Amino acid sequence: MAARVKTVVKVKGQTLCVERANIDTDQIIPARFLTGISKTGLGQYLFLGMPGGPEMLAAHPDANVIVARENFGCGSSREHAVWALTDRGFKAVIAPSFGRIFEENAYANGLIPIALDGEGLEAALKSRTIEIDVEGQKLTTEDGKTYGFELDPLRKRFILEGGFMEWMATKIDAVRAWEAARPTV
Amino acid sequence: MSKSLLDKVWDAHVVEELPGENALLFIDRVIAHEITTPQGAIDIQERFGDKLYDPDRIIAMNDHVSPAKDQETAIQAQVLRTWAKRHGIKLYDIGDNGICHVMVPERGYVEPGLTMACGDSHTCTLGAFGALALGIGTTLQAGAMLAQCLILQKPKVMRIDIEGKLGHGATAKDVILYVISKISFKGGTGYVLEYHGPVVDAMSMDERMTLCNMAIEAGATSGMCEPDETTIGYLRGREAQPTGEAFEKKIAYWRSLKADPGASYDKVVKIDVSGLRPMVTWGTNPGEVVPADGTVPADANATSLEYMGLQPGTSLRSLELDQAFIGSCTNSRLSDLRIAADVLRGRKVTIPTIVTPGSQAVKRAAEREGLHDVFQDAGALWTHSSCGPCLGMSMGVVAPGLRCVSSTNRNFPGRMGNGGRVHLASPAVVAASAVLGRIGSPEDLEAAAPREKVTA
Repeated sequence: MAARVKTVVKVKGQTLCVERANIDTDQIIPARFLTGISKTGLGQYLFLGMPGGPEMLAAHPDANVIVARENFGCGSSREHAVWALTDRGFKAVIAPSFGRIFEENAYANGLIPIALDGEGLEAALKSRTIEIDVEGQKLTTEDGKTYGFELDPLRKRFILEGGFMEWMATKIDAVRAWEAARPTV
Repeated sequence: MSKSLLDKVWDAHVVEELPGENALLFIDRVIAHEITTPQGAIDIQERFGDKLYDPDRIIAMNDHVSPAKDQETAIQAQVLRTWAKRHGIKLYDIGDNGICHVMVPERGYVEPGLTMACGDSHTCTLGAFGALALGIGTTLQAGAMLAQCLILQKPKVMRIDIEGKLGHGATAKDVILYVISKISFKGGTGYVLEYHGPVVDAMSMDERMTLCNMAIEAGATSGMCEPDETTIGYLRGREAQPTGEAFEKKIAYWRSLKADPGASYDKVVKIDVSGLRPMVTWGTNPGEVVPADGTVPADANATSLEYMGLQPGTSLRSLELDQAFIGSCTNSRLSDLRIAADVLRGRKVTIPTIVTPGSQAVKRAAEREGLHDVFQDAGALWTHSSCGPCLGMSMGVVAPGLRCVSSTNRNFPGRMGNGGRVHLASPAVVAASAVLGRIGSPEDLEAAAPREKVTA
């Protein structure tokens, strides 16, 4: 099973702009498609829970960046939502805010969660193409304007280098030492 | 320094400070279920020598679709089963299982001061015990099984003081729906909601679990209640708890976890629930909610209206229903079933109604009280425990365009079935609505259809 995240440094993106807030993970992938034991092959179920979702995807077959309104990925913890997006070729999601668990899942899988609001978001929502510089934490919209964005410095390396699980594995000894020294309750 | 409840639990679990104000946070217990665990377990098996940090810190259960409904879910359950057996992980399976957020407390695996994590967003339910309980994805859960830690930025804390005397018929479910309507569907994002105040103090553990269960529906990282004598009384004698001196020793620590007077909070919200009436959602997120006798707001979101087939100003009581569901990690505990049974006793439902207990232990306890007879005499289906139709997976999925009143936690588009329309409410309102065939409170039901002769 593929687990190592591919390195993503720059993204030349075609956008899928969704003028909606609160796109929850049930809309991204309904629970009836969570019956497998694999992280792959879930792209076929993407947005099947969103009214008009399949038609929207069909109209943008080459899109690899989603731009949406606030609170994208709220709700269920299902990482399948991120797997469905990456399986379909999506590299980044741009929105003013994300559900916490979705954002963590995105980082762990190399999907770039870009929090952007105000002028930058409005410009992105109008852009058919977007260029994202992950390392430099900036993106350029179709009109040529550039906007900076924040990424968590630790989790950013999981996007650039992959290896979340490998990183966790390096901590095992330190955790055991901490646990051994932990005061008993 | 004065500490909040979250501060105390957090500080006791930080293994290491990390860049970006992150911490490596030790997780005392990981809960593993069949929908989100297999992919991570397989990853650890294939790439990390199948080594888990400490199998004794994992509790596994087949809970979402158990028994399996088809070949695929049968394989999920079997993967969890063989994995648990291979590692000596405690597994709850067919016959003695239940929804993880119901079972974990019922068996005493959660307690004040612990950190808990599970690949399930409603893990926040466990915060009712004064634990920090985190819903996470599969990869982070795998990380927590490999190294017993999560990488986490310390959440901000929103202190929510709940005061006032609840109106007639209002329950913990109505309180949390009201709280979400006040702080908004995403207003808790980045926060742990620390619930305080006399209303919370007076709540049973079942009620506090309902309150914490829906913290995620405000976007919150988790919900927490201070441990008190109610918490201690609940945990005493539970399966995973020690007895005698060992238990008494724990109590002293648990009592020390109360928030210090003068603790600082990132936000303080006062919620007055005086006169609060039963609440029902009209829209497609739990914050879109009004009293059961209310109307769809004039400024209602157009996308929500379209999905729900509603107009501004429509009276909720005028809505004809197609289905009713009582269950889920929000409202399927014994006290919820008692409330629903009190409404249904001596009455008949007029729409398909499903009652699904939260665990097999809840089911047996309910049957010892004869509640299964009340439900079945009323014409409802009484099932084994399951997550069932709450997430549109099995046992009562809602058909497109049909309207279901439900004691669950999410009214998202398609949540209980593609195109299905969900109105969230308390078990009491769901039961009353099941009889009326329209949305209504037990009071409405009493006015519309006085009870048939009740047999003791």
